[in-house]
Amino acid sequence: MSVTARPRGPRSSPVRADATGAASAALRPVLEVPRRPARVLAAFPSAIYLEVRAGPEPRVVAVTTGGAVRLPNALMTTGTLPPASAGGEAWVGDGAVELERLRLRVRRWWDPAPPPDPAGPARLAAALPVLAGVCDRSPRRPGLEGSDAAGLLAAGCARASLPDCVAAAERLVGLGPGLTPSGDDVLAGTLVALRHLGTAAGARRAVRLADRLGAAVAFDARGRTTAVSATLLHCATRGQACAEVLAVLRGLTGGRPLEPALERLLRLGHTSGADLAWGLRIGLAAVVALAGDGANGAARAGDRANGATRARDGANGATRAGGWGG
Amino acid sequence: MSADLVRVRAGAYHDSVTLMRVSRTAADLPGVEVALVAMATGLNRGVAADLGFGLPEAGPGDLLVALRGEDPAALEAAAAELDRLLAGLASRTAGGGDGGPAGLDGPGGFGGFGGCFGGAAGFAPRTVGAAARALAADPGPALALVSVPGPYAFAEAMDAIEAGLPVMIFSDNVPVEQEVLLKRRAAERDVLVMGPDCGTAVIGGTGLGFANVLRPGPVGIVAASGTGAQQISCLLDLAGVGVRHVLGVGGRDLSAEVGGLSTLRALAALDADPATELIVLVSKPPAPEVARTVRDAAAGLATPVVGALLGPGGGDLTAAAESVLRALGAPVPAWPSWPAPGPARRKTGDGGARGPDGPDGPDGPNDANGPGEPAGRDGATLHGLYAGGTLCAEARLVAGAGRFTDFGDDAYTRGRAHPMIDPTLRLEALAGVPAGDVALLDVVLGHGADPDPARRLAPAVAAAVARGTAVVVALVGTEGDPQGLGGQAGALRAAGAAVFASNARAARHAAALTAGVR
Amino acid sequence: MTMPLLSGEPRVITAGAEPLGEALDAQAVPRVRVDWRPPMPGTGADLARVLADPRRVEANEVAVGRLVSARPRLVTVRPAREALDLPPGTFLHAGPPITWERASGPMRGALVGAALLEGLAGDPEEAGRLLAAGRVRLEPCHRHRTVGPMAGVVSPSMWMLEVRDAEHGGTAFCSLNEGLGKVLRYGAYGPEVLRRLTWMGEVLGPVLRAALELTGPLDLGALIAQALQMGDELHNRNRAATSLLVRELAAAIVDAAPGRAAEVLRFVHGNDHFFLNAGMAACKVSADAARDVPGSTVVVAMARNGTDFGIQVSGLGDRWFTGPAGVPDGLYLGAYGPADANPDIGDSTITETAGLGGFAMAAAPAIVRFVGGDVPDAMRATRSMYEITLAEHPAYRIPVLGFRGTPVGVDVALVARTGLLPAVNTGIAGRVAGTGQVGAGLVSPPASAFTTALTALAEAAGPGGGPER
Repeated sequence: MSVTARPRGPRSSPVRADATGAASAALRPVLEVPRRPARVLAAFPSAIYLEVRAGPEPRVVAVTTGGAVRLPNALMTTGTLPPASAGGEAWVGDGAVELERLRLRVRRWWDPAPPPDPAGPARLAAALPVLAGVCDRSPRRPGLEGSDAAGLLAAGCARASLPDCVAAAERLVGLGPGLTPSGDDVLAGTLVALRHLGTAAGARRAVRLADRLGAAVAFDARGRTTAVSATLLHCATRGQACAEVLAVLRGLTGGRPLEPALERLLRLGHTSGADLAWGLRIGLAAVVALAGDGANGAARAGDRANGATRARDGANGATRAGGWGG
Repeated sequence: MSADLVRVRAGAYHDSVTLMRVSRTAADLPGVEVALVAMATGLNRGVAADLGFGLPEAGPGDLLVALRGEDPAALEAAAAELDRLLAGLASRTAGGGDGGPAGLDGPGGFGGFGGCFGGAAGFAPRTVGAAARALAADPGPALALVSVPGPYAFAEAMDAIEAGLPVMIFSDNVPVEQEVLLKRRAAERDVLVMGPDCGTAVIGGTGLGFANVLRPGPVGIVAASGTGAQQISCLLDLAGVGVRHVLGVGGRDLSAEVGGLSTLRALAALDADPATELIVLVSKPPAPEVARTVRDAAAGLATPVVGALLGPGGGDLTAAAESVLRALGAPVPAWPSWPAPGPARRKTGDGGARGPDGPDGPDGPNDANGPGEPAGRDGATLHGLYAGGTLCAEARLVAGAGRFTDFGDDAYTRGRAHPMIDPTLRLEALAGVPAGDVALLDVVLGHGADPDPARRLAPAVAAAVARGTAVVVALVGTEGDPQGLGGQAGALRAAGAAVFASNARAARHAAALTAGVR
Repeated sequence: MTMPLLSGEPRVITAGAEPLGEALDAQAVPRVRVDWRPPMPGTGADLARVLADPRRVEANEVAVGRLVSARPRLVTVRPAREALDLPPGTFLHAGPPITWERASGPMRGALVGAALLEGLAGDPEEAGRLLAAGRVRLEPCHRHRTVGPMAGVVSPSMWMLEVRDAEHGGTAFCSLNEGLGKVLRYGAYGPEVLRRLTWMGEVLGPVLRAALELTGPLDLGALIAQALQMGDELHNRNRAATSLLVRELAAAIVDAAPGRAAEVLRFVHGNDHFFLNAGMAACKVSADAARDVPGSTVVVAMARNGTDFGIQVSGLGDRWFTGPAGVPDGLYLGAYGPADANPDIGDSTITETAGLGGFAMAAAPAIVRFVGGDVPDAMRATRSMYEITLAEHPAYRIPVLGFRGTPVGVDVALVARTGLLPAVNTGIAGRVAGTGQVGAGLVSPPASAFTTALTALAEAAGPGGGPER
């Protein structure tokens, strides 16, 4: 193993400090295009929110450390964040975020909306009281406790009434203080639960409701709530959620212990975790109600997301034509 | 005349790959001509003796530093610098380090790990078993990645299995009876053993070992061949189709002795994963009775399985990737290629640079002998200089003739790093390819591989081309890889190589160069 | 259901080539890095066989489960001849078996003292000749469910603490502690040593027995658990445990023997190590519960005779695996120095075997300087022992480590794999018979004791790593 001396060539970009991290696949539309200018919306010790100046959602990128909440629009680094303050300049695109002197490149993509394990309506129905019990007993209270808008949403979802749901959403979007108002969190939790649990239980009406309610919410969220929250709502309409919510969904479908995941979710933020949990509860209750009636319920439970069938049909041919024994 | 400096640091252990990097740094220090920094194993002592160093008493648990240069004072300075470097490594070791538990202080909240005296009096785990106990507090998924020297891998892998954790055994030189034992024990505990000699795995986007940066998607791969899986997953990524999991099983898994234990388990795991819509099984031809078992198992799955079976009668890896795309209803793109620049080619059929979506359209297998291919060098020999075993085998099959060497084989890696990390042997071999002949090489990008393979390879390619050797490179990687596909291709092409993202196409091109237009 | 691995982003344990770990860091993957290093030289093949033994995991669970679930109770005190059925002319000694020829200074001194105490010889020279001629039968304490500190010499007339395991029914014995200074266990055999031993047999033993009859069995496990939280590690510091023991017994001593109570209590008060022997018997009865589980790699005894350091392993019966006893590294009393030190001696390493002593150093910051270290050293010592043990003691807990249980159940395979030897802290005996204690410090057992035990475990496991299943 003798190694001889070699000349040292010049290295590129001497000014920038390069770092790497992992990004949510939800950010591919903003990261895998030529870079665009962005500005710092807000900066905290463990997260910096950047807004890309123009273009479709997602427009807000959360640059976080490993210790922060794993948002569905996060680019997470193992290193430390550079000093930044609101209004600062940044660039997003070309597979990286450039912020102050830091150039943060993506080395891993994670899926913020992994398809759920199949779970029949009976399993979900059994999980509902557990979820409700933990939330009710928790000292972590949702920010809108006592408001009737969430109740309206719950009632609308359980009947799959799009008008009622949209009416409730009108009142919820942007309702409450902070970067992510409580109303948005409740709505996001509901949308994610309708889509994932609806798919898990084969409750097509729930998934359809998620599609339509999501479209209505996404349509004008940007004008009605904060930029950060609008992006998160946009993610929620696609079933994309933070890691803590995904863990609870896995708990509900039976793949993982539910209660520790729920406890962890409830601890998030000031009221965000409790608001999201409330939304999940509304969505879960609706899926249980909607999966029960209608022929598409139990019979299709356990089937996969729509694309799978197509892939399977097409691939059977490939199996025959392809390798094994062929 | 030159001076030697030889030091032994008793009981200071570092892994061989880390020490290779230290050796390389040492060789770059001012006044150092030859540097060897290695554990004083019999083999390394032999290497040092061959280099002419006089050695004091030392054992495999001791660190050997041997430097040669003109100026003894410069050597002393270099040794001091090395001590500083090694002390840095050691302190990281002792503290548990920034890379260790600190990284776990995530939202997962590893309360309790590290305890109230965390940093100062912390004690980094010495075994996978102890590390598994530290992780047990949190219920999230976990796995062990074992890359200790082969004779010791069994113990660490067994720890993982006994703790109920899946394990990827990167180490090679693990006796087959130990592999069978591990896999049987894993079956009892319902965990997956990837390896031994498993170079590649991807779990939900997390790249382990030599893996590429892949976007999550509907495809799951079971791979008895690391580089084979890398070729297919990179082609799929280039075609815009994501790969969620690559489960390596180790090159011997489909042998009669092992009986496909991990393959069967990996197939079942992917079948149960709701996110996996299609499974690709990449392998060299299995033992016949194992093939039957695996075929039956695959037929019984709800998820379709595409077999990418290398060998006579099977297709090549690129063809397998294409059948995956067709199965998913995704279009088959023109696989990117970067033709050698004009001066290096005697005759060009297809002009200048051609990008991934170049104007010439797909350059499929059928046009290998077409007018687009360059005129050949009749009677020339094809020299396949490979780092990836499966890529080497594929190229040999596709090309049909030539001298092929797999530098990733155990015979070449004993006592040195894998050619994906240390290109020295391949560069020597490239320099030895006679003028007029054709050299075919693979360059594999991704995590764990050389951070900039073109840096050392491009000058060697340029030298070969200058003396009249044609160079063809199969470049396996994605744009998202740390090295960047486009940048590496550009650098190699600029040096005079013809570069292909598809190994099969690279092999066809190289074969056409030797055979001439028929 | 999805395999847990595939249903999220995994955390990764890495062992081996660090660049692979760094690639994970670059991906912001949470990981735990194993500070791996090669096993002890020459153990590779044996380790593979032992680790492949299909009995091992379950056997170790059983063995360690018994060790930590033992409930040691001090039931009575009685003479060795009666308790151990020890015939005249047989002496017990610490550590693995030894002959007079190979015995060190303090061991010889203690044997001479015992011969004088038993009236087998009129003077030390005669006692020496008697012993050299093999007229006294020497057997290890451990063979007789007994442990003894330092030389550990037990002769028929000495009074023994009797400890019973209320969980598994075992019984173990240990002599009464003589105090510090010139004492038999350090090889002193002068008139004052013999006078004290006689008094212990005539007064101390009978009074304690009478007191115990009044109190009933004493829960030693509870006392040890409390003492750990009061700064004892139960090998070199027994001050809290001794005080707790006196609190338990004082009233009964007064009731049982009002005329002798003051001198007995004064004697116990004058000896901070009075509890040591009771603790050792408690550890012995716990470790014995873990014996004889086929396939188990758990150490059930560590003991030294001043010449050899020996261990016994659960799956290997009564066989001893020995290596040369080392000289402790520590602080010396007065003008003594390393040249005056005898190699390591005594059965008191039964405390480490049961998860106390050096393994519980983090609990005893008060003595870390006495044994030549500082507080972080103590933390490190305890933390490092979790690497070679199979369990954390459910009752013996260390406040400063967040009430984590002490590391317990030394695994021979883990010792060989990590190269970490059990941390033992101990008193240092003078090399010359009759000198007494010259210091205290830390000592490492010889690696060869563990590697030879590993070889025997490998042989017992069979070529394929145990019977085929």
